[in-house]
Amino acid sequence: MSASNVMQPLKTGYEKSAARLLRRLHLTNGIAIGIIWVLALFVAFLFIGIIVQLVFQGFTASAEHSTPVLLDPNFYGTTELGIGSELFNTFYILILTEIFLFPIALGAAIYTVEYAKQGPLISIIRFAAETLAGVPSIVLGLFGVILFGSLFQFHVSRLTGALTLLCLNFPIALRLFEDALTSVPRELREASLALGSTRWHTIRTVVLPSALPGLITGLILSAGKIIGETAALVFTMGETNPFSGVFTLNPFISSDTLTIRIWYLKTQDTPPGISSAEASAIAAGAAAMLILILLVINLGARGLGRYIQRRVTAA
Amino acid sequence: MQQVQRQSLTGQAGQRRMADQVARSIFFVCALLLVLVIAGIFFFVGQNALRLFFEKGGATLAGFFGRTTWDPAGVNNDAGTPMYGAAGLILGSVVITFFSVLIATPLSLAVALFFNEVAPIWLVRIFQPLLEIFVGMPSVVIGFLGLVILVPFLQKLTSPFTHNPAGGFGWGAAILVLVVMIMPTISSISIDALRAVPDSVREASLALGSTRWQMMYRAILPAALPMLATAVIFGMARAIGETLAVAMVLGGSDSLPSPLLSLQAFFQPNANITQTILNEFQETLGVERDAYWMLAFVLLVISFLFVAFSRYLSGRKVYK
Repeated sequence: MSASNVMQPLKTGYEKSAARLLRRLHLTNGIAIGIIWVLALFVAFLFIGIIVQLVFQGFTASAEHSTPVLLDPNFYGTTELGIGSELFNTFYILILTEIFLFPIALGAAIYTVEYAKQGPLISIIRFAAETLAGVPSIVLGLFGVILFGSLFQFHVSRLTGALTLLCLNFPIALRLFEDALTSVPRELREASLALGSTRWHTIRTVVLPSALPGLITGLILSAGKIIGETAALVFTMGETNPFSGVFTLNPFISSDTLTIRIWYLKTQDTPPGISSAEASAIAAGAAAMLILILLVINLGARGLGRYIQRRVTAA
Repeated sequence: MQQVQRQSLTGQAGQRRMADQVARSIFFVCALLLVLVIAGIFFFVGQNALRLFFEKGGATLAGFFGRTTWDPAGVNNDAGTPMYGAAGLILGSVVITFFSVLIATPLSLAVALFFNEVAPIWLVRIFQPLLEIFVGMPSVVIGFLGLVILVPFLQKLTSPFTHNPAGGFGWGAAILVLVVMIMPTISSISIDALRAVPDSVREASLALGSTRWQMMYRAILPAALPMLATAVIFGMARAIGETLAVAMVLGGSDSLPSPLLSLQAFFQPNANITQTILNEFQETLGVERDAYWMLAFVLLVISFLFVAFSRYLSGRKVYK
């Protein structure tokens, strides 16, 4: 109080307006940063709330039985009340897709990173990858219907679904594998080539082992995408299960996955033999199950990548 | 003796070179497959789609893009004439894409600035995996939550002025669901964009006496602008092609909402391109099916334009 009184008479008009400007700038700064905090925390709580809500619903939703769905043994069975066959199908389609996707996308990544020279060819491949990444999954589903379903005569089957998912996840997997390969230092390649190895020999013995942690992380992240996909599968793999023989490795039968089951139970006709309350409870349980699987996959991808990195570099 | 050894050595080298060539061609075929797939998509979807305009009982170009009654099966009029007016569906897709991007962009920018400029590092470490999980969040899960929680909530909220028992469904719910779907995508690309701006820009701005907000607003955001625009375009591409989440909360309808230019239009069951394909493609045949191919082709062309535009923008990037 007294200090400002002493200062007051010394201030010229210029200093006064400078002080005012400074105050205004600091006020604006404070408000802006405050708004950023509020919005970011809002988004964070929204995300956390969504995950908590999903898991919570899985543990509380129940139909006529008083046990929550996730703890109900029927929920893991193969009747209309359970998702046993959907769980099997989800992992079946995941593995079938990865069998196609991993070698093909890795091959393409090796070509673009190790072999291709700058030029029109590589630009075309990059543009194709970007365009394919932007194609809506439902359009890819229709493409799968006509190419794999009609032209290759695979009809509505697990194989058609897996091949469609291959097309859908190709650009994402390519990107992840390219990142893994480019993270291998140049010097390692040059050392190997200088010793007289061919390119292929260098890739096989030097690049791929060093890129292994990144490749595995990429594989797991693309697995998350495959498990969560629905729109591309509805027309290519089917909406429902056949009455018997779901637990086979036969790729030519139609079947559904966890995601398709959730959509079917909530928006299509309620299947015969269960009430709509039961259908809602099962959908809630399936959604909680899906989110738990994805959490494990996502956190697992980080942990496993780091673990292998340590093993490879320490050994 | 020496000659024999040399021969076997050159033979081995030849074999090695041969293996190298074979491996190279296999990898090349893998990469080429990518080009073939995208060419195949345009060819097959386009071929089926354009048949609609040349077949008997098909549509005209003006009718498809100008009319608003979508009824390819011809079940809603007595004469059974199929109606191919897709303008309403396209409008639905455009409206929900536009508004969801409008809401998601400022939120995503705030998240990106928070990550790179404001938040303490420990908070970023907690936030990062959360964001990554949401980038890969299955749309059916968000659609499910929208249907179970958001739709009843919106219904209760809007019933005083819409008086519609199905008022929770529609554009409004779809927009909010889409915001959750696209915000993680826009945020994570924006974070990369801000990260690409070198620290020297920050230091120069602060050294001139800027406050932190001036530094962000006047120096960093302009420097990252082309890539931020790319992020928004990617969000748009994702929004217009998003199927499950949107389809579950739209409710479905075969004509325009009425009255169109009012708040009520957002809170009544409605349709867009993806929802219509998802729910009706399965039961169609012949010319009727070609109408759905045409819808898919429209989506394909729009998303291609988005990708082409984002490629043009990324050519103008200052920092990579």
